[in-house]
Amino acid sequence: MTFLLVMKKDLRLFVRDARFLATLGLFSASLVLILSVAFGPVFTEPARLAAATVWAALFFAGVLGLTRSLELEGESGAGDALRLSGADPFSLYLGKTLANFALLAAVFILLLPLTAIFFDVGTLQALPGVLGVAALALIGYSAWGTLFAALARGLQARELLLSVLLFPSLVPLWIGAVKLTHAYWGGVPVVEVKDWIKVMAVMDVLGLALAAWLYEAVQEAGE
Amino acid sequence: MTRDVPLWWRQGARWVWILAAVLVAASLWMVTRAPIERIMGPVQKIVYIHVPSAIVTLLAFGVTFAAGIAYLATKQWIWDAIGAASCEVGLVFASVVMITGPLWARSAWNTWWTWEPRLTTFLILWILYAGYQIIRSSLKSGSKRTISAVMGIVFFVNLPIVWKSVEWWRGALHPQKVTMAPDMRQVLLFGMLAWFVVYVAAFERRLRLEWAREAASREAHAQTDSDLLEARIR
Repeated sequence: MTFLLVMKKDLRLFVRDARFLATLGLFSASLVLILSVAFGPVFTEPARLAAATVWAALFFAGVLGLTRSLELEGESGAGDALRLSGADPFSLYLGKTLANFALLAAVFILLLPLTAIFFDVGTLQALPGVLGVAALALIGYSAWGTLFAALARGLQARELLLSVLLFPSLVPLWIGAVKLTHAYWGGVPVVEVKDWIKVMAVMDVLGLALAAWLYEAVQEAGE
Repeated sequence: MTRDVPLWWRQGARWVWILAAVLVAASLWMVTRAPIERIMGPVQKIVYIHVPSAIVTLLAFGVTFAAGIAYLATKQWIWDAIGAASCEVGLVFASVVMITGPLWARSAWNTWWTWEPRLTTFLILWILYAGYQIIRSSLKSGSKRTISAVMGIVFFVNLPIVWKSVEWWRGALHPQKVTMAPDMRQVLLFGMLAWFVVYVAAFERRLRLEWAREAASREAHAQTDSDLLEARIR
């Protein structure tokens, strides 16, 4: 189970880097605050604005998390050691993707109550649905994001480039996440937008399939 | 490897350029002679440049995608050169689409921009392939080719689902099926041919530049090797 070992290693590196985690948390909370001030103080469509806010904030915070996970690897020489271990590249990718998923999920767990309080949306009944949407969105985000972060490795201004390339590529995922979260928060009936679950699932599978095909080449290029 | 491409290539390229110039001139002349559309008036003639440019863009990025697969399979530099050359020319045509699209939209739909599926997809396409150019130019030669090939594949594979999702997000405004008067259709088809030949000509020039770069890089490596050998003999 190489991928579990890689995931454990990445999570340990994240936990040791407490200053980064604190900055990431503050940054994502600030994004929610900025957007709620921009849309407020009176929200005409709170469910719609809250759904847009939480996913926009998560996107930008996620880009920082994705690039940081690769930086950590470079700083401690873990990346070279992993490549020398001869482990299957897809296992390495999967381990990193799972660790990134955990990091993004932690950011989401922080942003969800903040957004719910600022915009006064959401109920406990809606929570399982929203968490399901988040799981689908974050699997896709970490799958595509880990691949793209590996592509941008070693480049200057990689956070900027990742934002520029990731958002357009993940448009189907974001539209789905915003529409479904909006529906669960009472904006529209969920049945009207349930087809977006399929779109998001297709994006998740496509991201993982592309990585299974191409990650080895990307890793070799980085050596 | 010589600094310039073989003689047959250079001679053939000259004829392609002549053909492209003649066809574009003929196409523009046909556009001026084409019937004026009843509702939109002369602005409708943008379609004779807009639609061929869009088709050439997709074709160019399709070539980049195929060349990316070929490069990863064979690791031969020529596939990387073909992919990069086609992508750059494709980006120019995509820019033409992005400029002519809003001009058309203002007249046809009374707005410069609308989140319409094809418009949005083309904007996304333009951003992605502009990003491709930036990343490619920032990479060191060692990883440049593989990363470019992967980008060419990933961006293109994602395209249909981006298109469909934007279509579901917002209803389509572009006509799904176009019925044109036969003499208008002839002008459009001729325009497609003319701009396709322009693509081929520009692609050839860009590919020749990649050829020269590769030859110069090999010469530089050979020089370094011989200098090292000489130093060792001394």
